[in-house]
Amino acid sequence: MTMMALVVFIGVCVGSFAYRYLKGDTQYRQFFVRLAVLIGSVMIMVSADHLFLLLMAWCLSNALLVRLMIYKTSWKAARSAGLLATKNFVGGAICVASAFVLFYTATGETSIQTMIHQPALSSTTLLALGLLLIGAMTQSAIWPFHRWLISSLNSPTPVSAIMHAGLINGGGFLLARFAPLYLQSPSLLNVVVVIGFCTALLGTLWKLIQPDVKRMLACSTMGQMGFMFVQCGLGLFPAAVAHLVWHGMFKAYLFLSSGSAAKEKRVDQNYLPSPIAFICALLCGLAGSFSFAVSSGKAWLAGDTTLVLIVVASLTASQFALPLLQSKPLRSLPLALIGTGLFGIVYGGSVQLITWFMAPMALMQPQPLNGFHLTGLLALTLAWLSRLFIRTPEKAASSPDWMLKGYVTALNASQPHPDTITTHRNQYQYQ
Amino acid sequence: MRASHILTPSPHTVTSININKPILPIMHTTVMDTAVLIEEDYQLLNPSEALSTAHIAGLVAKSFKLIAPFWPLKNLIAVNPLQGFEDLPFEEALPLGSAYFQQASLPEPMEAINRQTIKWLQAYFDDGQATLPMPLRQEGLYAAWRQLVGHDTCLHENDEQKQEWLTTLPENPAEAIQLYLRHTGIAPSEHQQLLTLLLTTLPGWAAYIRYRTDWAGLDANHRHPVTQIDYLAMRLIITQLLWPDAKALLSWHQGAVEQARSKSDVLANIQQAEDTYRMPLLQQLAAQPLTESRTPDAQLVFCIDVRSEPFRRALEATGDYQTLGFAGFFGVPVQITDTVTGETHASCPVLLAPKHTVHESPCCSPAEAAQDRTAYGRQKKLKQLYQSLKYSFTTPFALVESMGLASGIWMGLRSLTPGLASRLKHSVGQSIRKPMPVVSSLDTLPLADQCAYAEGALRVMGLTHHFAPLVVFCGHGSTTQNNAYATALDCGACGGRHGAPNARILAGILNKAEVRTYLGQQGIAIPDTTRFIAAEHNTTTDEVTLYGDDASEASKKLTQDLAKARQANSLERLKQMQKNADHSGGAQQTWLRSQDWAQVRPEWGLARNAAFIVGPRELTSALNLQGRSFLHSYDYTQDPAGSSLTTILTAPMVVAEWINTQYLFSTLDNVAFGGGSKITQNITGKIGIMQGNGSDLMTGLPLQSVYASDELAYHQPQRLLTVVYAPRPLLDAIIQAQPVLQKLFGNGWVQLACIEPNGRQTYVLSRDLLWEKIA
Repeated sequence: MTMMALVVFIGVCVGSFAYRYLKGDTQYRQFFVRLAVLIGSVMIMVSADHLFLLLMAWCLSNALLVRLMIYKTSWKAARSAGLLATKNFVGGAICVASAFVLFYTATGETSIQTMIHQPALSSTTLLALGLLLIGAMTQSAIWPFHRWLISSLNSPTPVSAIMHAGLINGGGFLLARFAPLYLQSPSLLNVVVVIGFCTALLGTLWKLIQPDVKRMLACSTMGQMGFMFVQCGLGLFPAAVAHLVWHGMFKAYLFLSSGSAAKEKRVDQNYLPSPIAFICALLCGLAGSFSFAVSSGKAWLAGDTTLVLIVVASLTASQFALPLLQSKPLRSLPLALIGTGLFGIVYGGSVQLITWFMAPMALMQPQPLNGFHLTGLLALTLAWLSRLFIRTPEKAASSPDWMLKGYVTALNASQPHPDTITTHRNQYQYQ
Repeated sequence: MRASHILTPSPHTVTSININKPILPIMHTTVMDTAVLIEEDYQLLNPSEALSTAHIAGLVAKSFKLIAPFWPLKNLIAVNPLQGFEDLPFEEALPLGSAYFQQASLPEPMEAINRQTIKWLQAYFDDGQATLPMPLRQEGLYAAWRQLVGHDTCLHENDEQKQEWLTTLPENPAEAIQLYLRHTGIAPSEHQQLLTLLLTTLPGWAAYIRYRTDWAGLDANHRHPVTQIDYLAMRLIITQLLWPDAKALLSWHQGAVEQARSKSDVLANIQQAEDTYRMPLLQQLAAQPLTESRTPDAQLVFCIDVRSEPFRRALEATGDYQTLGFAGFFGVPVQITDTVTGETHASCPVLLAPKHTVHESPCCSPAEAAQDRTAYGRQKKLKQLYQSLKYSFTTPFALVESMGLASGIWMGLRSLTPGLASRLKHSVGQSIRKPMPVVSSLDTLPLADQCAYAEGALRVMGLTHHFAPLVVFCGHGSTTQNNAYATALDCGACGGRHGAPNARILAGILNKAEVRTYLGQQGIAIPDTTRFIAAEHNTTTDEVTLYGDDASEASKKLTQDLAKARQANSLERLKQMQKNADHSGGAQQTWLRSQDWAQVRPEWGLARNAAFIVGPRELTSALNLQGRSFLHSYDYTQDPAGSSLTTILTAPMVVAEWINTQYLFSTLDNVAFGGGSKITQNITGKIGIMQGNGSDLMTGLPLQSVYASDELAYHQPQRLLTVVYAPRPLLDAIIQAQPVLQKLFGNGWVQLACIEPNGRQTYVLSRDLLWEKIA
């Protein structure tokens, strides 16, 4: 239901945007036909209960997406990007199809609803879940299957919007759909957590170094998908669905408004917070995470995987408080506390809204904390601290070699596939 | 690649330069002068001695001559993409331009070279997009890159020799170029050509570097410096690593030149369009009667921009108004500093350097000003809250979940009901920071300069007598949403900005008693009853805002008539956008276009521009020129020495030629000379547009600015026709003294026509600069 509402809403927004944005384009009509079929196909995909129907809708949606992405077939780089995505999706579809065949052979069921309530996992279903996970990774551009996503920007802006709000979430949807089975395999959940953390950190790092707006958005989506996987791996599937719904809307909006990127004025964030301000901010962080926990119905100092979300809320609330505490930290502390409290409520409320919709499915099953969770959490915290306290030096004398090397490595790793770059201006075609 | 291809400094390389002495700073300033010197010395020396670093500087500067500058998105300035070919006749420039810029493909190894060059230039020239930018940029392009490139596995491919070689790159970029040229084994006479080709094979980025090095204006002191030598050194090193046989470019280009010579249908189409347009126009102009001067209810001075003409016509139809045309910066070469935000921008044509800084502050009481400052701080803090969560680690994960619902609703509103969304945004914006009228302080302009600007402006526009009680200086600007090319629709005379500040300054100057006294002494008597006020014409909505609190009857009537003119002109413009509106809905629809974030054609800008008419308004006031003409007011009887006309022809007309050729070439080939479609654009570094994942910097106008659809051009490619109402001897003297005019008229970039005031005979100037009578 939630997914259907999201798909229709985004479809209507992007459609009405494109109605003016694509005026005069040779592919104008085809665009809307494809968009309508795509939305229909995604609706079938999210509502299908039959394995085969789901698989068919899955393949059809991706095929349509690729066609929309290429858009102008005369443009070589766009064709290459389409080819790259096709390879990725075909690989993913093969994994999903094999997983479905294994499910069927193991259980004899074609109804997902019946199948996911199997009492115990056989080794065949475990293998199937593994394959399904790979399928989900390809769809959601999880490392190391991310290349197609950061090479997908030859698409028209509305297509990027629909993709980043729609089909990219397919992976999360798949995991959530089969969540009861995944919840029976803690080790598989740990795998999901680990790749999720890696993708989240890489995606965010790459996002922060990108000089162009659309690639920045694409890398950011990659990081967000990683975090969504983490939430799945923590056993908090409703939180993951909330993440993909809200991220979808947020990212679709950012893509559609990407023409304003040159006008966006950045406020200088490169100041070092004073110790007092930093301590006050941490206090505010605690307040924010508390109001988050209350408003989303979680225990504040949870001993299970919910803690990961609480800590992220707390870091975010601290960051939120920092600008308010920039000058005269002690005097602004009350304001900052109120601000972060409100922030926590909005944040928790958003998550809770989706959780309510999904409550009957009972998919919110926090897991016991383990080393993977704590390591990931530590990495997220350190990454946040490094942004606050480590500065890129402007002078050679003070720049350690690892930093220079790290920059170049990250820059190269986040480049699109070479064939998808328009190396010669006249290879670009708009017709 | 084999080791033998890699360059190593040979002993005699070092002899000609002294490494310890930095010669870079000298080159910054003297590139132009040495270029000429070197040219002569060069003939005398034998090839091996010829490659001094000073000589390299000359080569580099000359190779950049074929590249037209590209202004960044914050102030897009129209420019002739074939500016470097203007010394050639138009007919020769076309095929040569095609050989350099319109080739369908490049030699294959150039693709990898371009890919790597784009990657590094994107990173270096980023003006605020990346949160963690490329390190070391304060040291300059080459110096920073040199320290990073050793880590670039895409370039050295983990080949030990290449890695080793990258650690030995000379500190001085000129020396790197020198090393390269020495080892390529091409004749010294071809060195410059090779450098040129390395620029023209990635023309957009070269154009940006041309801007940063020769036309930077306020960007001249950019925190991340660059020189032309920096860029070519980097480009050559990448080339050496990826394509040691790059000298094959020379023969590839030779082939392209030979092929390009054979086609010429483009020229025929242009000439045909010109022929059908020009004759009827000249005949109509020559037939217009001139009337006696008299005093109207109000005089309004608009920018020469082609978009002023239909609006002036609409306004004149509503009452007794006289309108004039003048460059929209109103002759005051200033830069404007906003005292609240602290931002400064140049507000004059890019051909001029601003002479004064004028401060603009919120009006009027100190309390109000302080209030506005607080409001600005509040606005900035809100922005900071959002950005601090968005551009960091970990926090964006929570940000998207908190903001998702709100941004979803906002996206829906903006897409489905852009009008409502805009009103909502407006009222929220107002509650955070109320828009305040601003005043410009004239304290930084010495009185003598104020007098000179006042007199100069009035004389050039011919407004020295019959002053109306109300004289309005009307600048212009556009309003568009989500439009990377927004500044391309603003006032070119104000350096791609809105024109209101300049209008306010000139009005302020002319309302001063001391200035009026001075003008009286110079024979320009302004009645005490005359008031000058400033205004701004919004070219997207046709709304005109009057500034200042003038409550007179005349100004009330004018406000009403401006609203009528807005309706009329909106309707006329909507027809050009294939929209029909009923009589009352015109302004509503143009307003909606200005507020719609999905609108890719908010207005037609200067599309279809074709003529530049210099003379009194009576010459054109009875004609419908369809928004295709720049109109500059001019009265030859007040300009016996021709100094005003010289200014008009060498400044505004040159700018009009830049605009005209920009539209012309963007329409002829929107890929090679234009920006391509807006639908796949990707803004890089906040400075320019790439297509999709990555491409050359797409200079020129986007497809949607000159095409009604993918297939149908809206702009009519034709060269500028300049018509001057003045005696021929006056024109002859000016052309003789001005090489730039000889170049433009003699090479056929602009066609000059003259309407003789005595007898109304029309003449056109032939390519050998002789007058030909036309029937």
